[in-house]
Amino acid sequence: MSLENFTGGRYPLTPHCFDELVTNAGTVRPPAGAIARFIDKHGAPELFKRQQQLNQTISDMGVCFTLYSEGANIDRAWPLDVIPRTIPSSEWQRTSAGLKQRLTALNLFIDDLYNQQKILKDGIVPADLVLHSKNFLAPCQGVSPRYGVWANICGTDLVRDEHGSFLVLEDNLRVPSGVSYMLENRTVMKRVFPELFADSTIVPVDDYPAQLWQMLASLSPRGDSTPPCIVVLTPGIYNSAYFEHSFLAQQMGVELAENHDFFVEDDLVWLKTLRGKRQVDVIYRRVDDTFIDPLAFRADSVLGIPGLINVWRKGKVAIANAPGSGVADDKVIYAFVPKIIEYYLSEQPLIQNVETYLCQDPLEQSYVLANLDKLVVKPANESGGYGIMIGPRATPLEREQMAAAIKANPRNFIAQPTLNLSTAPTLCDTGLEPRHLDLRPFILQGAELYCSTGGLSRVALTRGSLVVNSSQGGGSKDTWIINDEG
Amino acid sequence: MLARSGENIFWLGRYLERLDDTARLVNATSHLLIDSHKDTEFGWPVLLDVMGLDSSHILKEYGLDPKDASQLAHIEQAVMQHLISNVESPISIRTACSQLKFNARTIRQLLPRDMWEELNKLDSFVQQQCQTLHGRQQRYQLMTEISRRCQMVLGSVDSVMLRGDAFDLFTVGRHLERADMVTRIMDVMVLQTLQPSLLKRPRFRWISILNALGGVESYHYYLANNATGAEADAIDYLLSYADFPRSVSYCLNRVAASAKGLPDSAATLQHVQQLQALINQQPLTDLSTAQLHELIDQIQAGIIHLHQVLVGVSLSEQQALTA
Repeated sequence: MSLENFTGGRYPLTPHCFDELVTNAGTVRPPAGAIARFIDKHGAPELFKRQQQLNQTISDMGVCFTLYSEGANIDRAWPLDVIPRTIPSSEWQRTSAGLKQRLTALNLFIDDLYNQQKILKDGIVPADLVLHSKNFLAPCQGVSPRYGVWANICGTDLVRDEHGSFLVLEDNLRVPSGVSYMLENRTVMKRVFPELFADSTIVPVDDYPAQLWQMLASLSPRGDSTPPCIVVLTPGIYNSAYFEHSFLAQQMGVELAENHDFFVEDDLVWLKTLRGKRQVDVIYRRVDDTFIDPLAFRADSVLGIPGLINVWRKGKVAIANAPGSGVADDKVIYAFVPKIIEYYLSEQPLIQNVETYLCQDPLEQSYVLANLDKLVVKPANESGGYGIMIGPRATPLEREQMAAAIKANPRNFIAQPTLNLSTAPTLCDTGLEPRHLDLRPFILQGAELYCSTGGLSRVALTRGSLVVNSSQGGGSKDTWIINDEG
Repeated sequence: MLARSGENIFWLGRYLERLDDTARLVNATSHLLIDSHKDTEFGWPVLLDVMGLDSSHILKEYGLDPKDASQLAHIEQAVMQHLISNVESPISIRTACSQLKFNARTIRQLLPRDMWEELNKLDSFVQQQCQTLHGRQQRYQLMTEISRRCQMVLGSVDSVMLRGDAFDLFTVGRHLERADMVTRIMDVMVLQTLQPSLLKRPRFRWISILNALGGVESYHYYLANNATGAEADAIDYLLSYADFPRSVSYCLNRVAASAKGLPDSAATLQHVQQLQALINQQPLTDLSTAQLHELIDQIQAGIIHLHQVLVGVSLSEQQALTA
């Protein structure tokens, strides 16, 4: 099968970038065979037609996200591209093993930090880096959540380098979002391309909500004897991820509550239900940890449950992710993760990091300042793609401002080489064009470890852009893990 | 279910029914016009009055004088705008639909996927199709389609929603709203008849109202089996014939049946009983049109009271828990 057939000879591969569906030689990668055959048979007009059906389905299903800047217009249709991204299952097996390895080590690390701090004493990770981090939360010291696991839900951002190897770009251990879109993307695609699902072996993704429920249930302080009361804690209907909060609550069959639906009494957490108070066992919090209890953390928080942390410290309620997990989700700590894996597991990392320069190291800082036009600079503690400077695309003024910011607060910045993110054919006005993308799989750890089948593929919809965040004009693709193991 | 969600699911039921019934209210006018003499004067402002608004005040905002016969076409247009397309109007179909969607969004975790999808489709349809108003014929078709789509939502509720507190509250809200809206639709007829007119004109017929409420055939069945033969039997039928699902009596029975299983329902049940007694106290066929209008006012006041009792319960309960 040739590229000629696949795209009418007009698919322009991006130099030095790995394409997910097409090889450098212009042939179609085997897992993408069914899609290529579909395009060959039906051509571009059919793709545009299906894209329209797909948009209609998304509107009917009410799949949306929220932008803070939009005022009254709170819902926006979720952008999904009609062409899926394919990954062979053999490769996914190796990748998910690496993701589980990484989360296991990170949880050992967090538990160590809030207890013995052996890794600091052994000098593997500089103590001041952790102890002076604003994500190191003093009230969490001395606590050991069930199984010693703090970050129960992790969304790891993966990218591919130009050779096609997956690299970890960042670990999201606080309140990672996006899994609902992974699930809804699949539901939409099944409705729009029933024939493709009939023709190829696409591994299902839909056991995630059941896995999430089981993991949360395994955290219940009352054990297996009582059916656990699990509640999703949301900041409310105006939050940018509210769609996901309500979706997951619905899919798991649990309550979705805001802080004022809870109260603390007799060292327990209670939910105000129509039929009186009900004891809460597990809170899946989708509120930042420093906001969850105004008595323990930010006194100005209006999203918190006063007294919650005290109950949690006594082991009478589980919180996922545990407060304080963010200490390991810091772009400076990120640079140490390979060493953290080696230290706790005596294993080599199965997935590599992106090369990272720490601005607090004088030598590395001078390198960063001298090469601002080549590097991507990131603040250590932001998410959603905010505050990032992509050197080659920044104006001289932006680079100057960034240099000043780095000098003022070096601990707060890291830099990485500008990556040649992989691309995938994406339906644009003119036909199929390559667009850069990343992948966010979701890993769960409670009594057991679980990794989602694939994850959420996020696509930069603007030609050449590397910014995939939906808050900044990114779109998405369904991610197909194609069985190649017979 | 959260104590707080109770009110949302109750409102979800109310708004869904309001959407359907507002469409029927609009279509009741079409039926009245079709079934009446060609020279009949129709009092469009009455449609705003029955919704509890001051029509002359509102028409002034549209720059119109309700008494100016030469503006009749514009008045019709303005009244329809207020009932259908104006998002600033508290009684418009678009407003009811936005409120419906808002409540659904707040308690999505309680709603089955099928129902959520039907609600989304209903909302996009209404927001797109109700922006500009067309002639009477298209309006009639649009209203019929809105009612049909409301039935789609109800169908999904009926076939897949868990029978629990959420379903009961939804049912209570829906039937309370229906009882209220049926009396308002009846009032359209009553006020048309009461309206002073210079023209000597033939009377409007109740059958038009029954048509808009989908109750003509069952009304004939009722006549054949129960009634005296007077035309005022229609009033009896719409208020107190508990076998017809759009009669006020039926709605109140459903409110009571669904509220029975909910916590702290004693006050609700007591209020329902009082309302039932009010409807059944006198032979309705003996009422003059003015008396009927007064009775309708009393029923509506009773429904408002009942609403307050229902919503008050869940609120006070929440407060009691935190105390």
